Amino acid sequence: MTATDKQNPASLRGLGWGTFLAGFVPGLLQFQLGQKGRAILAFLSCTALFFIGWVLVRDRLFYFALFAPETDPVHLSTVGILARCGITVTLPEILNFPANAIGSILAFDPSYEAQRLWRLPRALEDLGGFLTAASGYLAAFWSADGHWGMRLQRDGGVNPLRPICNPAFAAGISWLLPGAGHALAGQRSKGILMGASTVLVFALGLLLSQGHAVDRAIASVWWIGQSMCGGGVLFASLVTAPQEITGSFPENLDLGTVLCTVGGLMNLVVMVDAFSIAERSVFPVLQLHEGDA
Amino acid sequence: MTQLLFRTAVLLPVLCLIAIVVMGQFHVTAKETLRAAARRAGRWIVWIGLLVLGMELIAVFFIGW
Repeated sequence: MTATDKQNPASLRGLGWGTFLAGFVPGLLQFQLGQKGRAILAFLSCTALFFIGWVLVRDRLFYFALFAPETDPVHLSTVGILARCGITVTLPEILNFPANAIGSILAFDPSYEAQRLWRLPRALEDLGGFLTAASGYLAAFWSADGHWGMRLQRDGGVNPLRPICNPAFAAGISWLLPGAGHALAGQRSKGILMGASTVLVFALGLLLSQGHAVDRAIASVWWIGQSMCGGGVLFASLVTAPQEITGSFPENLDLGTVLCTVGGLMNLVVMVDAFSIAERSVFPVLQLHEGDA
Repeated sequence: MTQLLFRTAVLLPVLCLIAIVVMGQFHVTAKETLRAAARRAGRWIVWIGLLVLGMELIAVFFIGW
C-alpha cells in the first residue's frame, strides 16, 4: 500500500468501466484530460498506421481473425453480422477499435467468392499484418498513457510529481526493444538482463523453426502471443516470414512456434514491469515479495 | 528418445530465462534478479522432474516397461 493509498483509499480502486472502454478509442482519454494536441496525435497515428497496413491486407484480415466470419451469404451467422457491423475479433487490431471497425465494414463481403479470396496469400501481407497489429498496440499504449494521466490527475495532488519517464512510453519502447523501457526508467542492468532473456527465447524459436515460426498466415492464433514482442515480429515479418517453405515443414516447427509465443508473453511481463517502475517513481509501493509471484 | 533429450536440453535453459523475467519483477538490479532466478528455476526443475517421474510411473503401471 502506498503512502497515497493510506491517505486516500480511493486510489486503490481502478478508474472504472467508462475509462476502460474509452481506452479503445485512441485519443479519447487525452481529450477528456484536456490534452487536445495529444488526442489528435493519438487518433491520427493509430488510424494512419492501421490503414497503411490495411491497404496491403484488406479482407485478408478476416482470415487472421480469432473468429473468422465465414458465413452463408444469405443467412449471416452471428460472427458475420458482427463483421458487417465492423466488429471483427482480430487481435490485436481490435484495440484500435474505430479503425478496425471501418476497415472491417469497408472490406466485408459475405459472398463465397470473397470468402475464398481471404485464403489467398497477398504480396507484402506479412508487413501489412504487422502494421495493422502495430496500430492496435499503439492504441493500447496511448490508452495506457491516458489512464496514467487520469491516475495522476486523481491521486497526484495539486502539484503532482513528474515520473522518471512516461510509463506508457517505457512500456511502448519495450515492445519494440525488450528491456529499453527499464533503461529509461533507471533500471538499466535489469532491463538488459530481462530484455536479453526475452530476445534469446524468441530467437531460439525462430532458429529451431528455420524462421517459419512467426507467420500470421500459418499460425494466426500463435501469432497473437508472438506479436507482443514487437521488434522480433517486425524482424520476422520483413526477413523470415516472406520466405516460402520448400519441401517438408521444419522438424521443430511446433517447438519453435511455442518458443516464439513464450518470448512474446515474456515481453508482456517486461512491458508491464517497465510501466510499473516508471509509475512507482511517482506512486511508490512497498517492495513486493517473491512469494507474491 | 533423441527428440526427448533434445527438447529437454532446450527446456532447461529456456526455463532459466523465463525465471529471470518472472523474478525481475521483484528485484531492482541484474545481480539480485539472477540470484533469485537461479533459486526459482532450480525449484521449477525439481517440480518438473517429479511430474515427469510420476507420469513415467503411471505409464509403467498401465502400459508396462
